[in-house]
Amino acid sequence: MIVCVAVVGHQNNPLYIQSFTEADDALKLHHIVHCSLDVVDERVNNPKKSGLTLNETFLGLLYPTENYKVYGYLTNTKVKFILVTTDLDVRDADVRNFFRRFHAAYVDAVSNPFHVPGKKITSRTFAERVSNIVKSFGLSSAG
Amino acid sequence: MDPAKTSLGKMLLEEITPVVMVLRTPLVEESCLKNSLSFIEMLSPFCDFNNIDVPVRTSSDQPYRLQKFKLRLFYESDIKQPDIVVAKERLKQVITEAGEKDRSDLSTDPLDISNILASSKSEISPSWFEIFNKELVRTVSFSEHEAFDHPVACVSVVSSKDEQPINKFVDLFNTNKLPSLLNDGAMDPKILKHYVLVHDNKDGSSEKATKILTEMKNTFGFNGCHLLCINSSQDEQIEHQDNPWAPYKFDSSPSQDLGHYLNIDDFNEIKDLIQELSSKHIIPYMEQRVRVLNQQISATRKGFRNQIKNLWWRKGKEDTPDSSNGPMYTYSSVESQIRVLGDYAFMLGDYELALSNYRLISTDYKIDKAWKRYAGVQKLGSSGRQYATRCGLWWIEMLKMKDQFKEAATVYFRICSEELLHSAVMLEQASYCYLLSQPPMLHKYGFHLVLSGDRYKKCDQIKHAIRTYRNAVSVYKGTPWSYIKDHVHFHIGQCYGFLGMYDVAFTHMLEVLACSHQSKATQELFLREFLQIVQKAGKTFEVLTLQLPVINTSSLKVDFEDHRTYALPGSTSVKESVWRSLEEDMIPSLPTARTNWLELQSKLLPKHKESNICVAGEAIKIAIEFKNPLEIPISISSVSLICELSATSDETNSDASCSTAGIWNNEEHENLSVIVTTANLILLANCREIISDTSSFSLSEVNISLGGGEANLVQLTVTPKVEGILKIVGVRWKLSGSVVGFYSFGSNYVKKKIAKGRRKAKQSPSNYLEFIVIQSLPKLEGFIHALPEKAYAGHLQHLVLELRNRSEVSVKNLKMKTSHPRFLNIGKQEDLDLEFPACLEKKTNVSPPANPKIASHGVFLFPEDLSVQGENPLLWPLWFRAAVPGNISLQVVIYYEMGDLSSAMRYRILRMHYNLQVLPSLDVSFKISPYPSRLQEFLVHMDVVNKTNSESIQVNQLSTIGSHWEISLLQPIDTIFPSQSLIAGRAFSCFFVLKVGTRICIFRVVGNQLSTEESTSSLFPHIGSNVSLVPDGSKGAPFDTSKSPLAGFHDYERLQHGILIRLEAENAVDFILISRPLKSNAQPGVADAHHVFSHHACHCRQEYTKLLIIISIYSTASTSPITWVVDGPRTRHHDFSSSFCEINFRMTIYNSSNALASIVLKTLDSTSISDQLSDEASGNQVGWHDVSLAKDSKIESEALRNHVRKSLLPESVSPFIWSGSSSTGVQIKPLSTTEIPLQICVFSPGTYDLSNYVLNWNLQPVKDHENVGERTQSSGTSLGYPYYLTVLPSD
Repeated sequence: MIVCVAVVGHQNNPLYIQSFTEADDALKLHHIVHCSLDVVDERVNNPKKSGLTLNETFLGLLYPTENYKVYGYLTNTKVKFILVTTDLDVRDADVRNFFRRFHAAYVDAVSNPFHVPGKKITSRTFAERVSNIVKSFGLSSAG
Repeated sequence: MDPAKTSLGKMLLEEITPVVMVLRTPLVEESCLKNSLSFIEMLSPFCDFNNIDVPVRTSSDQPYRLQKFKLRLFYESDIKQPDIVVAKERLKQVITEAGEKDRSDLSTDPLDISNILASSKSEISPSWFEIFNKELVRTVSFSEHEAFDHPVACVSVVSSKDEQPINKFVDLFNTNKLPSLLNDGAMDPKILKHYVLVHDNKDGSSEKATKILTEMKNTFGFNGCHLLCINSSQDEQIEHQDNPWAPYKFDSSPSQDLGHYLNIDDFNEIKDLIQELSSKHIIPYMEQRVRVLNQQISATRKGFRNQIKNLWWRKGKEDTPDSSNGPMYTYSSVESQIRVLGDYAFMLGDYELALSNYRLISTDYKIDKAWKRYAGVQKLGSSGRQYATRCGLWWIEMLKMKDQFKEAATVYFRICSEELLHSAVMLEQASYCYLLSQPPMLHKYGFHLVLSGDRYKKCDQIKHAIRTYRNAVSVYKGTPWSYIKDHVHFHIGQCYGFLGMYDVAFTHMLEVLACSHQSKATQELFLREFLQIVQKAGKTFEVLTLQLPVINTSSLKVDFEDHRTYALPGSTSVKESVWRSLEEDMIPSLPTARTNWLELQSKLLPKHKESNICVAGEAIKIAIEFKNPLEIPISISSVSLICELSATSDETNSDASCSTAGIWNNEEHENLSVIVTTANLILLANCREIISDTSSFSLSEVNISLGGGEANLVQLTVTPKVEGILKIVGVRWKLSGSVVGFYSFGSNYVKKKIAKGRRKAKQSPSNYLEFIVIQSLPKLEGFIHALPEKAYAGHLQHLVLELRNRSEVSVKNLKMKTSHPRFLNIGKQEDLDLEFPACLEKKTNVSPPANPKIASHGVFLFPEDLSVQGENPLLWPLWFRAAVPGNISLQVVIYYEMGDLSSAMRYRILRMHYNLQVLPSLDVSFKISPYPSRLQEFLVHMDVVNKTNSESIQVNQLSTIGSHWEISLLQPIDTIFPSQSLIAGRAFSCFFVLKVGTRICIFRVVGNQLSTEESTSSLFPHIGSNVSLVPDGSKGAPFDTSKSPLAGFHDYERLQHGILIRLEAENAVDFILISRPLKSNAQPGVADAHHVFSHHACHCRQEYTKLLIIISIYSTASTSPITWVVDGPRTRHHDFSSSFCEINFRMTIYNSSNALASIVLKTLDSTSISDQLSDEASGNQVGWHDVSLAKDSKIESEALRNHVRKSLLPESVSPFIWSGSSSTGVQIKPLSTTEIPLQICVFSPGTYDLSNYVLNWNLQPVKDHENVGERTQSSGTSLGYPYYLTVLPSD
């Protein structure tokens, strides 16, 4: 299950963090997302070491914590997408697919002329779309 | 790299060194304690050799020289694993002590993250970590599985004072006292033994001791015996510079006392003893052991063959029984031997040999699942789950040495145990590793600091928690990660709160106050904690950056009064241009204002032309919005403005005050002027004094409470009391009664305003909040009593305008103007005490109405001699009538001049503004058509629809305006309208007859009398006739529509319709319908006005207090001056068998014009009736079909009654013809009638419409040209009216 998705701006400022759990764990998820930024930076700065090819947006598994797996994605505008999931057995293709759709939703959201770049994404449509993507995570390829 | 130079090497050399077990008698200890030292402590400084220079040869044939060497001395009782609880306590103590030492810099601001990165490595991580790590390592010392801590040698010490010292030596080796390691077989009990005799020189000469030494040498062998003489210094105490014992003494006794009986001889003796022990005994012994063990192990385990053999045969070969911890390895087992070999080799610096042995044994241990030992062995290369802290630490040191800080941090993270305190320290160290890694991983640094801080806090290590959290602050500062920031600040605040440092706690708590993103529970928690800290601090905090509540700067609105004064707060919402256009006819033009410039112009005013002007004693109102961002309610008290007022006695000073920010004094008002521009609490404190200083201005205080998410517009006032320059600096408030917040209306606001361009043109924005206070002036206060906010259309009310001037100086030359004269009429002074609505009723003694004095452009001039002053208010009557439905913004402007000519302003203007909502009430429409059978008479069809929601309305009276109209009901009102009241949504119709009256005489019905009055129409333009729609005349006299206020309103209505007040020339009629709502259904909102008014005027008939006056202006149907009527029989019986029927008619023609009219009547036979009907229909301009239809049906019913079924429309042949000439011409004098006889011949029975004639008329003007302009129509053609004739066959 996806616990949390986040959009982080190129100055490492949170643009959108949404948790999909019932529990009041906003602080914890913020911390997880915040920490994962280090790994993103590391991956981006050492692309050879981490085996990333040029122009690859998907950063792969950032790091496993005790209960979660954190995946990252970097757009060409240096906006980071972070995915936190509790599934321990996640297929890479699923995650890639998720990020691809998430990216599309993000692009649509920031294309709104009323959206101020660098400010938090408040669009309700975006939130709905993201929650749909999250719900369908893993279903498409599994079925 | 020299391993001894790295911290890892240093640590290993310190920690992994041979252990010497010390056995001593109590007397030895006693002698040593004279120096405040234990025996071991006395020896400790000499156990560390940096240059021992001993040749060593271990496994290889090549000897090498050992330089660094160290011995660790332990009493036999200490050679055991420390108790876990004690160890924990010890660790805790270390941490707490470290925390205490940290206190110094707790209250400073956290460093910026860039500064932290710039600082050197040693500065970053606190030094006490080393101590802690050492202590942590010590907790796992003397374990059975590793030989580092196994005593290599044993030193027995006996005092020369002991009796039978030789026996004592033997006794010391009593196995009961020896550590368990030796007893349970984990260690080889045959260890190197050394015998030392201690002699205290204070107890006498050393002769006896020498004797004992000889005895010892005989007993224990020559080499293993020593004599140590101490306390050689005689009598005087020796002060040791650089006391060598101090570093080894843990408890804090004064260091100069240590070893004060030990002189230089003792020093050297101890040194020699240790040196000899090390180099001549311990090292050779270990060397030998290594060689022996190496040989044994090579024989059994090394080489391929041995390994194979081992694999096959080792299982089951164990000779010791399994214990719960897995197999025990006794000293004699091969594994132990390998281990000992490795450790010894390590200690002797033969690292190659050590490593090979460790590798060898690690596989063995693994196979046996002896995890404890496996971990111990693995410690130099990898990690283990249990017992791994120490090896983790070593590993970390190794990684750090290789600059692999990230990996080191991971290891730290992994050696976190369940125990909070332990893991807190480890996490903190991990965080520093992340910081030191290249590039620095700041996010992880922050995260681990927070984790660590959280654990510290749970363990009550508050100071450590503060340190870690504070470091975390530097990571998160300036980032938008608000959840994390809130968490960090909140916990720091709490921690400081625990420590009682409320000021710092407060500043941190401030950061979390505006936590609108948090859940409601969290918000409550934050606020509660914040208030607790404030409460505990027991003082009032003053904060410049208080984020609760949020102040909406753009909502700032300033209301002040210069020459423009406002009656009500809402008056300022009207655009200035609206006021300007109203006032332009009242304000004296510029030249007149300057007539007396010599004495009048204030010295002040020209200087500050751009500044706003306000008057001393009059309040400046500021409205600003406070918004609560939280979901929980907050209470805010003592909201007031921060102002400064500098007197203008010194002109240069006051000029400077505009431009400079700072503190200055002037002669009159010291300590008044402090500008708060920067974040400076000291200045703010001064400001508070100013506020309390009420001598120069007074401020209002407001208390509000804001619910969750609520915003509240707060009205604040400042009232200057003296002349000078007033500047409004900001606003202050008190949150929850204890925290004072300040907000400065800084320059950003002004800039914003410029950008928006919303400022009034007159004022330059830079001194928007700056006012020139001029001396106090009279000010009129105005109020209109009982003006309703909501009224039905047509609502008429008598109002009183009250003007009051509180100052002693009078005002004069009052003028007044209203924006909507249709709604608000200015009455006459004598109207003031009128009884309403009785005053509207007709009275017998009618005095000519005098129009109020209206100057040009609708400006009303109050009487010249009128002046308002002091306590007596001026009351003036006003008439209010809700003319049209809708929302009306009603403005009233009153101009007045100062009675005192020396004042700075010559005139002022009072602006009053009211918003009205006018609801639709009655919708009245009239249709007027000529009365078919009468001359100069019209039928009026009135349709009345009640458009109110719930009101029932009684229609009282219909009046016509104009002297030449008379109106009367067609039918009695009882028959057509029995209920008399019109409930909501209903409509009713009513017919009236409108008659053209005589011009000179007006017949008026007063009561039951008929009176005739002479009237001059110029004086009575509004006199008309009325018809009461209430059947019972007892309700009172009819209302007089010819007098004020109805007449006045009527005039404005006409103006509205663009009609000149010239009734005589028009064939138009104006109606006034008077009705009143029934009081039973009166709406509560309207009922208020009702009551207020009844207080004034009406004492008995409350239902009269409300009147709805509908004024309608309609034209009569005919604009022709010629009217006629056809008179004749309507039915005729005729026997058609004998002859056709001849019928005679009379047409009476009236010329209502002033001219001679020549008329030609043409009768038409040819066209069919249907055509004529349609012609008639189209020709009738009013188009009132209802009447003709009604006639039709009447005729039809008549025909039915007579059993005659004839077609109304016969076919081609015209059934009747006009007799006589087809065209008749007559001339009619002005205002006279003439008659023309007409005849038709009817050939068959039927019903006929005799409208097929045309009247051509032509006016010939009279010679005198009095009314030339009025002759609008000089000729025309009129079609005939329908006239139905029924001819029946007579039998």
